[in-house]
Amino acid sequence: MIGANKLLRSWDPFLTLLIIVVGAASLFPVQGTAAAWTKTIAVFAITLLFFLHGAKLSRAAIVQGAGHWRLHILTLGSTYVLFPAVGLALVALVGGWSNPLLLSGLLYLSLLPSTVQSSIAFTAIARGNVAAAVCSASLSNLIGIFLTPLLVAVFMHVDGKDAAASWNSVTSIALQLLAPFLAGHLLRPVIGGFIDRHKAILQPVDRGSILLVVYSAFSAAVVGGIWTKISGADLLELVGLSAVMLAVIMGANVLIARLAGLSRDDAIVLLFCGSKKSLVSGVPMAGALFPPSQVGVIVLPLMIFHQLQLFVCAVLASRFRREADARDAADSPASVLSLPRTEREIAVTARARGLAVPDACMPGVVANLALLDSHAGILLGRAGS
Amino acid sequence: MKQALEIASAVRDGSVSAAWIVEDCLAGLAKGPALNAVTRILADRARHEARQVDAVVAAGRDPGPLAGVPYGVKDLFDVAGLPTTAGSSIYAEAPPARHDAEAIERLRNAGAILVATLNMDEFAYGFATINARHGTTRNPHDTDRLAGGSSGGSAAIVSAGLLPFSLGSDTNGSIRVPASLTGIYGLKPTHGGLPMAGVFALAESLDDIGPFGLSVADLRCVWEVLSGTAIAAKAGREFRVARLGGRFAENASPEQLAAMTAIAPDAPIVDLPDIARARSAAFLITAYEGGALHREALARDAMAFDPATRDRLIAGALLPQPLYQAAQAFRQHLTSAITHLIADYDVMLAPATPCVAPLIEDPRILIDGALRPARADLGIHTQPISFTGLPSLAVPLRRPGRLPLGLQLIGRHGDEATLFAYAATLEERGLIGVSPPPGGLQREAA
Repeated sequence: MIGANKLLRSWDPFLTLLIIVVGAASLFPVQGTAAAWTKTIAVFAITLLFFLHGAKLSRAAIVQGAGHWRLHILTLGSTYVLFPAVGLALVALVGGWSNPLLLSGLLYLSLLPSTVQSSIAFTAIARGNVAAAVCSASLSNLIGIFLTPLLVAVFMHVDGKDAAASWNSVTSIALQLLAPFLAGHLLRPVIGGFIDRHKAILQPVDRGSILLVVYSAFSAAVVGGIWTKISGADLLELVGLSAVMLAVIMGANVLIARLAGLSRDDAIVLLFCGSKKSLVSGVPMAGALFPPSQVGVIVLPLMIFHQLQLFVCAVLASRFRREADARDAADSPASVLSLPRTEREIAVTARARGLAVPDACMPGVVANLALLDSHAGILLGRAGS
Repeated sequence: MKQALEIASAVRDGSVSAAWIVEDCLAGLAKGPALNAVTRILADRARHEARQVDAVVAAGRDPGPLAGVPYGVKDLFDVAGLPTTAGSSIYAEAPPARHDAEAIERLRNAGAILVATLNMDEFAYGFATINARHGTTRNPHDTDRLAGGSSGGSAAIVSAGLLPFSLGSDTNGSIRVPASLTGIYGLKPTHGGLPMAGVFALAESLDDIGPFGLSVADLRCVWEVLSGTAIAAKAGREFRVARLGGRFAENASPEQLAAMTAIAPDAPIVDLPDIARARSAAFLITAYEGGALHREALARDAMAFDPATRDRLIAGALLPQPLYQAAQAFRQHLTSAITHLIADYDVMLAPATPCVAPLIEDPRILIDGALRPARADLGIHTQPISFTGLPSLAVPLRRPGRLPLGLQLIGRHGDEATLFAYAATLEERGLIGVSPPPGGLQREAA
């Protein structure tokens, strides 16, 4: 029951929208001229999305947290070296007997940048180093704009072409992402204020673009017969493989943090920023990097991995917080943090502070200290908060 | 004529004199309903200031944006020539303040006229304005109910229409709670955003001052004067809004939740982390700092304190310092985390109080299914916000004929301008606004 509750609480409402869109595309796939139009609009939406992302990205956030360079290198290493290595190893391991289309999606997700918002949120809940998380996650997103298309070119064969042809196509497509992103970012001094004032338009563009790409992609995939090629067993296998990938990466990050001698707060940043993959970046990138008929299958593993990582991180973050609370309480001797509760303890403490508690006040003081003690319990994690 | 800007406009163009406004106001205060909202009426000072404003107008000079507007202050602001009592009989005979508090000085320079000091919980420690010396301040919407606190006098006097605006202080919600219960606007600014010189402290690391008023425009003008900042007008602006869930939704009235949905149906629901811990830490910090501030006076004569605050202050004085330090360390950590988490939103909506004003006869409210003392728990939704130092504007839901209820519009650090701009759009849409108490606003009737 606890697991079910946690899953419900960590459920991303946007995922519900995505499932509805996948269902809609399966029942009513857009075809022919309409499909071409949808694809064109999706390309435009992606360009706008990356332009706005570039304009929104704050270099100041990166500069402010840049002091923890060793942590950032480890986080980037986890995202762009460890993850791809695990992705490639998994694909090689199960390649003989698994659906190759879904394995491509699994490999693709291993090449993506980390998430920003949820990495920061989970680091905060776990009482980790929030400033470093902001820097690490932002840096990962910035680098991903350049690096993910390159990694896709190196490790994935797009549209059945050979590596060289794929390289050319990916670099030209990468420009479709890079150019608007850089244009937006370079224009930040001019339009940053406008963007910050009109942030309300950014989320609909984010989400609208992703939904449009997913609808367009799944329409093409449905026309190409995706649901005849992918079975329920394939999806279950995908959940299993995603879980293995997440477990291996998280385990490796815990080990690396210990070997590198990271503090607890920094180790939490490595665990959360280094083990996550961004749906917001991944779906539109897939729309630009892969042929329409493949995008649906490519992003399916990402959608499953996205929910899985939210669930696992939510469970871990609250566990880390409880441990930190307990440690804080243990670090301070009980006598240092405990409140006087009995009339005798109150009288002794009061005397030590030059106070005498009048008899008429004693019942009220006892009651108030009981109330304050319950608040101390909540603060220090001694009570169910 | 009831709102501050309307009065100021009439005084500035010479259609009415400040002296007339002040006499009208003093007459209203003398014959108004018995609310126990006023502690001292400053008739001589008010008449003197009114003459000065009228002289400036007659000379053709600018009398300031609040010319001739009468107002009152919570009884913890220094007023030159009077003892600063903080609502306590202990300081009734204290040496008089040599200068006005800086906030009063800024308002005087803007033409506003101080006419009264106003009731509060002793030393601002409570959410009820139950004061042993001055009595319990009553809610103009139902005099059998509390006005909330600790700035209850400041809220009740404006809600009744006896003054167009007033000043209060807010440590854990002492402006927003009474604003919500009496159906008016109240602003807790960004922590440290308004001048605190000459203000009697409760818990210095959390204390702020702020205005109460009858409209967004009035409140914005007073804030501009107090902060020395002018807000540039921006038309057609869009706002990115979120609704706070979790603890904020668990102890809210269904009407508040419905209003939040009506205001921003598509706004995401955001769960801020560690809200219960934030409230507990704020409780401990307030108790510790309050206890430390009054320790010497408690040692001299504890029985001279108001029974309602005495035991709380003694308990606070006995808290261990490491616990206080742990609470402050947590505050720093949480503030940093929340600042990042809300960076993408302009405004967050939350309830201001968990319920309507409780009865004076039975001052308890339902929290998590159990009856709790209103004095300590009315600030359940305001306390965690003050803890992070974010600005929060309490706005009244428009509900004529029913007991008032308010929401908080919470903004980013230093971004009060956005809160005023967003509140103005809600006021225009008719979703928020002051609903007069039974019998109407007193000065409107007069």
